[in-house]
Amino acid sequence: MQGYSNGGGGGEGGPADLAKLQSIMQSIEIACSSIQMHVNPAAAEATILALCQSPQPYKACQFILALDVSSIAPYDCGAFQVIAFILFLSNLAENSQVTNARFQAAAAIRDAAMREWAFLTADDRRGLISFCLCFVMQHACSPEGYVQAKVSSVAAQLIKRGWLDLSASEKEAFFNQVNQAIYCNHGVDVQFIGINFLESLVHVSEFSPTTSSAMGLPREFHEQCRMSLELDYLKTFYCWARDAAISVTKVIIESDAAVSEVKVCTAALRLLLQILNWDFRYNTSGTKMSINVFSAGVRQDSASAKRTECILVQPGPAWRDVLISSGHVEWVLNLYAALREKFSCKGYWLDCPIAVSARKLIVQFCSLTGTIFSSDNGQMQEYHLLQLLSGILPWVDPPDVVAKAIESGKSESEMLDGCRALLSIATVTTPFIFDQLLKSISVDHLFVITLLLQVFAMMFRPFGTLTLLSTLMCEVIKNLMLNSSEEGTWSWDARDILLDTWTTLLVSIDSKEGNALLPSEVLNATASLFALIVECELKVASMSAMDDDFNYVQASISAMDERLSSYALIARAAIDATVPLLMRLFTERFARLHQGRGMIDPTETLEELYSLLLITGHVLADEGEGETPLVPNAIQTCFLDTLEADKHPVVILSGSIIKFAEQCLDPEMRLSVFSPRLMEAIVWFLARWSQTYLMPFEEIRDGYSNFGHDYEHQLQSLHSRKALLSFFGEHNQGKLVLDIIVRVAITTLVSYPGEKDLQELTCNQLLHALVQGKNICLHLVALDSWRELANAFANGKTLFLLNSTNQRSLAQTLVLSAYGMRNAEASNQYVRDLTNHIMTYLVELSNKNNLKNVAQQPDVILSVSCLLERLRGAANATEPRTQKALYELGFSVMNPILLLLEVYKHESAVVYLLLKFIVDWVDGQISYLEAQETAVVVDFCMRLLQLYASHNIGKVLMTLSSSLLNEAKTEKYKDLRALLQLLSSLCSKDLVDFSSDSIEAQGTNISQVVFFGLHIVTPLISLDLLKYPKLCHDYFALLSHMLEVYPETVAQLNTEALAHVLGTLDFGLHHQDSEVVDMCLRALKALASFHYKEMSASKVGLGPLAAGLKDSNGNPQEGILSQFLRSLLQLLLFEDYSPDLVSTAADALFPLILCEQGLYQRLGNELIERQVNPTLRSRLTNALQSLTNSNQLSSTLDRVNYQRFRKNLNNFLIEVRGFLRTM
Amino acid sequence: MSDEEHHFESKADAGASKTYPQQAGTIRKNGYIVIKNRPCKVVEVSTSKTGKHGHAKCHFVGIDIFNGKKLEDIVPSSHNCDVPHVNRTDYQLIDISEDGFVSLLTENGNTKDDLRLPTDDSLLTQIKAGFEEGKDLVVSVMSAMGEEQICALKDIGPKN
Repeated sequence: MQGYSNGGGGGEGGPADLAKLQSIMQSIEIACSSIQMHVNPAAAEATILALCQSPQPYKACQFILALDVSSIAPYDCGAFQVIAFILFLSNLAENSQVTNARFQAAAAIRDAAMREWAFLTADDRRGLISFCLCFVMQHACSPEGYVQAKVSSVAAQLIKRGWLDLSASEKEAFFNQVNQAIYCNHGVDVQFIGINFLESLVHVSEFSPTTSSAMGLPREFHEQCRMSLELDYLKTFYCWARDAAISVTKVIIESDAAVSEVKVCTAALRLLLQILNWDFRYNTSGTKMSINVFSAGVRQDSASAKRTECILVQPGPAWRDVLISSGHVEWVLNLYAALREKFSCKGYWLDCPIAVSARKLIVQFCSLTGTIFSSDNGQMQEYHLLQLLSGILPWVDPPDVVAKAIESGKSESEMLDGCRALLSIATVTTPFIFDQLLKSISVDHLFVITLLLQVFAMMFRPFGTLTLLSTLMCEVIKNLMLNSSEEGTWSWDARDILLDTWTTLLVSIDSKEGNALLPSEVLNATASLFALIVECELKVASMSAMDDDFNYVQASISAMDERLSSYALIARAAIDATVPLLMRLFTERFARLHQGRGMIDPTETLEELYSLLLITGHVLADEGEGETPLVPNAIQTCFLDTLEADKHPVVILSGSIIKFAEQCLDPEMRLSVFSPRLMEAIVWFLARWSQTYLMPFEEIRDGYSNFGHDYEHQLQSLHSRKALLSFFGEHNQGKLVLDIIVRVAITTLVSYPGEKDLQELTCNQLLHALVQGKNICLHLVALDSWRELANAFANGKTLFLLNSTNQRSLAQTLVLSAYGMRNAEASNQYVRDLTNHIMTYLVELSNKNNLKNVAQQPDVILSVSCLLERLRGAANATEPRTQKALYELGFSVMNPILLLLEVYKHESAVVYLLLKFIVDWVDGQISYLEAQETAVVVDFCMRLLQLYASHNIGKVLMTLSSSLLNEAKTEKYKDLRALLQLLSSLCSKDLVDFSSDSIEAQGTNISQVVFFGLHIVTPLISLDLLKYPKLCHDYFALLSHMLEVYPETVAQLNTEALAHVLGTLDFGLHHQDSEVVDMCLRALKALASFHYKEMSASKVGLGPLAAGLKDSNGNPQEGILSQFLRSLLQLLLFEDYSPDLVSTAADALFPLILCEQGLYQRLGNELIERQVNPTLRSRLTNALQSLTNSNQLSSTLDRVNYQRFRKNLNNFLIEVRGFLRTM
Repeated sequence: MSDEEHHFESKADAGASKTYPQQAGTIRKNGYIVIKNRPCKVVEVSTSKTGKHGHAKCHFVGIDIFNGKKLEDIVPSSHNCDVPHVNRTDYQLIDISEDGFVSLLTENGNTKDDLRLPTDDSLLTQIKAGFEEGKDLVVSVMSAMGEEQICALKDIGPKN
């Protein structure tokens, strides 16, 4: 490793150094070749790594890089003495012929310079940058593109590293060099290289914090660079690139074949695109990070998550002259139009790079928005979009012709880009303006539009953009129907983009204004689009009905869900037409099923119904996501003329689906028609529908007083809405429908044995949704059918056949429905009745004499597992009202639980269930418990922990199967995680406590209890198990919480427990997960600051722990704080960690230093003494000095001092880490 | 649960029954199942359907609890599977004899001398090493479907 050092930069002698350089070059070359040929790659890598890590390898690298040394001479300014050798060598060596070696040399320059930047002289720094710049310019024509790219990116990184040190004029000088390259007539290649360099500055984004390369500097540095570049240079670069492109445009347009200028133009266009991709922040005229909403209404919707990315481009008003008023957009459009003409020529085609870049740029222009447009009522933006739209139109219009051309072999990329442009335009405008754009091309703007546009205008029928969008989408859907079997065709992509466009446009309509604003032609177009979509979906459904393997992955289900939501938006835009359409489609299929019963295989119809149910569910109701969803606006504001509820189209549609669902209660029908899959759709639909329509809250009915336009209209809409809402309300059909739903649910649980998915839907979605509505609970508990379900649960056997998670969910649901009882007493009794069977069984079982034998029988294990799941479900449903009954339940099974833990100690699956029940039960109960009850629960938990530990400490599993061993390890991990959760729940008693008296009354000290629990659990947590990220996270979260909140308890721990806590803390400090390290640092801070404050107040603090103990042999040991000071310093100075941790580390280091000043001084001196190089030594001394003395740091632990120390530490690390780590 | 008759029979037989029927849909991961007449621990359960509108089937992957071999089975989820009665008993280890048998102390003070040591070398050394160090060892013996084997080892040394 030392081999490449050149002895501190001295230029002591010629030939010796020359020989040395050459030998270095040779060894690198050999290494590179052997890597390529896979000969001893490890050794080769080591050689290259050594080059990168050796101090000051610049000479060697420049030597390797410089092919033509004479070209370097003028630029290298003599900063490096080595330049003499290089000159001398030029004829001799011609330097490295191995390109890879040059590539590695460039990388080595980068690494070394980043590391040692701080102590290079200003001249050296400039020299390095200009060496790299010159290298790329001089070798513009070289065929080894990747070396050029590497060197140019190194130059970019070096410029960035020095950005804040370089004066404006120095930067100017560098950029002038680049500018010269771009403008002057050094040839196309040089132009190309210049543009590429700017790209690596902007795009590979050295200057954008998210993509910049790591430099070991604080985030702030990156932010400053970014701001400076954005404010001072970005626009200039843009103009350079634009001018470069313009300068070659003429040549390109006039030539018929490919010319070399195309390369430059493409690169320039790409750079323009990259610059527009920049995340503009600073010059949006003061309104940081926000879109200045001008009256035409740019929406700030981040709500609509999309499949297709559409990034808003928001440079501030400063860019107006460049982008808007200089005819720039027009130039690009013209360029592309000209290219279009040439697609028949040789060298140009639809997907040639220059065409692709131009199209991308045009699409990017479409998403231009914000303060760049003057606040003139949006006219400027409207004109801008108009101009773009007219340029884009030929890509997608007329849709049928375009689609046909693609089907017969034309590339689809132009059409897709057209769709993307529409999406972008839709994102930056309102639906109304979006629609108007196309119309205004023919009417309003003739006086401003260029001649070209007028020609277009002639061609157009006067319809809006929305109509065009519908026709376009129709074509896509038609194509999709033809090719439905293949995925990934162009029509799939086009459909997704266009659906996003619709979503973007319609979401705002759906949530705010209603459909009234849309012109009727648009409504018609949307209606027929939806009809086509449904037709397509049905066709796909019936064709795939017979498919055998259709194991959907989760991703494709959620993708379908998104698609259906977009469909629903389209359907709602024309709700008048779509609800009757759906009604008709349902009726047809119901009839077909009835007519064909027993004769025709219904599978295709079933699959169609499945699709229809999903679509209809999305159209009629929104997903609640935990909230109570309202009736969609479009449905509320429509059908105003229907005042009789039973004629309301939505009522009719819902009613007929419910009536259909009810038929599954008939065993014969169930057998012939209601397949499990169809039932899944029905249950899903009922769950979604009932959340919105079934017995809605009173308030909703009158909640919209300030809606409609005039009183008359308002009154009418109120009537119609009331009719819709009250029809399924509690005083109308609600109870009847609720009864049907419950009976359907019971059927799926009882009559579809083993259909896990269906039963899961019923338990987790349908029943769960029902008990969410408090007013529904009131009626539920009064229903015979619900009583039937509760009875089957408590006394029957069939429900034991449900899958275990469904048991849990069902128990939870039933207990939750207790809310519907009159008062707390009745609710508690309801819960007791429901759960009594569990208690009885477990108590009886545990009292058996031959428990050990009986318990291991599979049927008993099954029963116990089911009951434990039920217990857990019930515990999850704890609410203030039922807390009492559930406490009694838990209390009565405490002893059986401990006995079962004993007999099932080898049955890990049961043990886990036991633990999870206790975890959930304690979690639900703990904050309500009175002091006496708390004492009981805490005592129980400790017994549980001890029992579990005694079973598992020192246990070795003997099996041949590695997968069983792994399983066992995973099970153990899950157990331990549950135990940690239990301790965390206990912890929370100190934070949230609703009991009437203090728990101290019973002598319970939560912190001691939890530490005791940790003491029991930690021996089970091996360092190996801490590799499970979740367990690790939980463990350190609990540990750092304990140390932060109760540092005083640490002093009372016994040695063994303490050693383990501290051992894991030290382990956590060096963990790769920065969150874990963060938690450990916070714990350290808490410990050290506690001790320091106590000591300042002349108390004992951590006492002997901090002072240091004697180990078993009587040798004095270091105090714990000294150990941590050492290990933290070691970490900070010599190891890898995320820069984000520096602040927390500072917070921990500061009190540690204050506690252990003597040791800190010693460590500092050691560090200094180890440093042989006098320059570095004095730098280190100064840095250490200012770490503790600068910034008026004083020795009190307050906020201000912490802040000052953070700053000091940051500076300290930047100053010294670079050279400390290489030595 | 699912089969009342069997339930009673097993009671009379005091746990001698080797297997119990249980609905496939209720068998969960980490439970036991008989596949190809071997007692297995279930390490993976997945469900699929016979055709879109058909009934669910369970796909089990099990590991033979004695020889560690992997076995698979597909059963309609409403049908019954056999579940083995897996019994585990703890004994204190008294002696390891030269001929590959162990001598174990039962709960009621008798000895059990008919159990072979595992043949696998690594498992064997785990037991022997611990025994030779003079640790107090408890072995768990797993028995199912007429076979038995040592399945776990626990040091209950001086601390407990």
